Amino acid sequence: MIAAGCDVGSLTTKAVILNNTRLLGHALIGSSFNPEKSAAEVMEKALAAAHLTMDDIGFCVGTGYGRERIGFVKKTISEISCHAKGAHFLQPSMRTIIDIGGQDCKAIRLDEKGEIVKFMTNDKCASGTGRFLEVMAKLLGLELEELGRISGQTTQPINLAATCTVWAQAEVIMHLNDGMSKADLAAGINEAMAARIAILARSVGIEKDVCMTGGVAKNTGVIQAMEKQLGIPMRRLRVDPQMMGALGAAVFARERMGGR
Amino acid sequence: MINKMKEAAHCLQNTSVKEWKRDGGKVVGYSCTFIPEEIIHAAGLLPFRLRGIGTTSMSIGDSYYGAVNCSVPKCILQLAGQGSYKFLDGAIITNGCDSMRRLEETWRKASEDYPGTLPDYYEYFPVPHKSVDYSIEFYEEELNSMIESLQNHFNVKISKSSLKKSIKLYNEGRKCLQRFDELRSRQDVPITGEDAKAVLIAAHAIPQEHFIDMLKEIIEKMEKAPSVSNGKKRILLMGSASDDIDFIHVIEEAGAIVVADTVCYGSRTYSTLIDEKSDPVHALSSHYLTQSICPRMLGYYKTRLAYVMDVIRKTKVDGVILQNVRFCDLHGSENGIFERDLDAAGIPCMRLEREYGPLSETGRISMRINAFMERIS
Repeated sequence: MIAAGCDVGSLTTKAVILNNTRLLGHALIGSSFNPEKSAAEVMEKALAAAHLTMDDIGFCVGTGYGRERIGFVKKTISEISCHAKGAHFLQPSMRTIIDIGGQDCKAIRLDEKGEIVKFMTNDKCASGTGRFLEVMAKLLGLELEELGRISGQTTQPINLAATCTVWAQAEVIMHLNDGMSKADLAAGINEAMAARIAILARSVGIEKDVCMTGGVAKNTGVIQAMEKQLGIPMRRLRVDPQMMGALGAAVFARERMGGR
Repeated sequence: MINKMKEAAHCLQNTSVKEWKRDGGKVVGYSCTFIPEEIIHAAGLLPFRLRGIGTTSMSIGDSYYGAVNCSVPKCILQLAGQGSYKFLDGAIITNGCDSMRRLEETWRKASEDYPGTLPDYYEYFPVPHKSVDYSIEFYEEELNSMIESLQNHFNVKISKSSLKKSIKLYNEGRKCLQRFDELRSRQDVPITGEDAKAVLIAAHAIPQEHFIDMLKEIIEKMEKAPSVSNGKKRILLMGSASDDIDFIHVIEEAGAIVVADTVCYGSRTYSTLIDEKSDPVHALSSHYLTQSICPRMLGYYKTRLAYVMDVIRKTKVDGVILQNVRFCDLHGSENGIFERDLDAAGIPCMRLEREYGPLSETGRISMRINAFMERIS
């Protein structure tokens, strides 16, 4: 019983191949302008990793912004449901999931059965999204992955006053010109990010256990800042948090095939 | 018939308005449900609810408003500034909310830069925020001033008997709309929420006599129409101004059917009838100021909640969408309280903040609606 999930996001496209509860393969690529092509390419990679072909897949569910454009899926499900499903599949005690994607962030609260009770998404702007961190990392001349590591070396994080991504960028440039260290800037950026997301998380009502999914969950600086702001620990997941939407889609696919 | 309603929902100057103008009729735009259409009708004028539909740019709207204002009046101003409202012979702006109240000034100012875009008759109409004796009295005085100024400007006579006739006509429209609501929310839903919304918008965009005739035909067809709701989740739409049928289309594409609403440009204006026996201006004043469920009215949240719970009970909805236009302080804050109370009552609901105007956010809106549908499945 082999199921698959494909998540075509705004920045990255992901695929997961699942055999019952065992992860057989997964892949991640940057999203191209053509969602259909991105989906086909990432699925090919995930299948290769699992040593399988498309004919082996019993059911595939699509999710993400490009979900309606994926040719090979039998059903599409929103990424809100998929992230919740993936996190709950990995850790049934999970009650609050904070997903930060490329162009949005979501806070989702679950009941003990893993059903969604409430969710909120950012409505105002791109602040508090993966795109915000991407812009800032580029500004500091860092790879996205380095933001978290470098922020750990801070002695005094800067305080970013602006909410708007563009204005915050201007603020960081000003601090750079003043000779501020990259570690302090990176820490300030991560804290600003966490502050935006904490508002969203509080609005759905936080219940333990809490985890973060999406690409930004790989940034240890943001995770630590979130823990500090919310005053509760973030549970680490045993699967790459960026794959959570695709994993949830694969779990839904497995359920469609009669698996539990 | 439904296509004529849709035409009225999709564009400002619909065929009925064009015919009205061609026959020498005059049109008076108004900004909010607190303006009694009966008075404009009794003056022999066509009341036309102002809308921001079809806006493709905010070049003018943004120039006269701040960045954190609701985009409904901004879109109306945009259309006014670009000349789309030149068919109006008059406009009455209210203090429905603070952003709408500013439209009175921004339109006046913009007309200095875009000459010829301000109607000849242009008035501000203050509506009290309380439903108490002295405010009903104040409102009645204001209505009398409005009657006087319409008479003077358009050289017409608004008699008590003509007002009574107009009240009777609009009450007939209300009764038809009440029946329409009953039908659209029955178990086997005979009309999509998108089409139903077109009807509700047309109610304030075409001559009432014509609207009632068309609505009666639609109702007759609905009585026998097959169900369009099979397998769909029944939704109540609540919150701020919503006159975009494409927005309803996005909601319904996700597997929902909107069977009821409490929104502005929706089912807000006809749940009760106006007293036809007492003095017409007093009857209008006490009706318009006491029967509204708009959150601009101070201190009536419990009444509004009771009304909403009654709608939910009668229409047997599966869920409620609490939407508001970004920066709408009235509905934005009240939706939070509704969410708390609906949650407590075990009624699934979701909040949705959105931009008014061109549906640029379709992807994000449909993702959230999809997730809500999945949640209540």
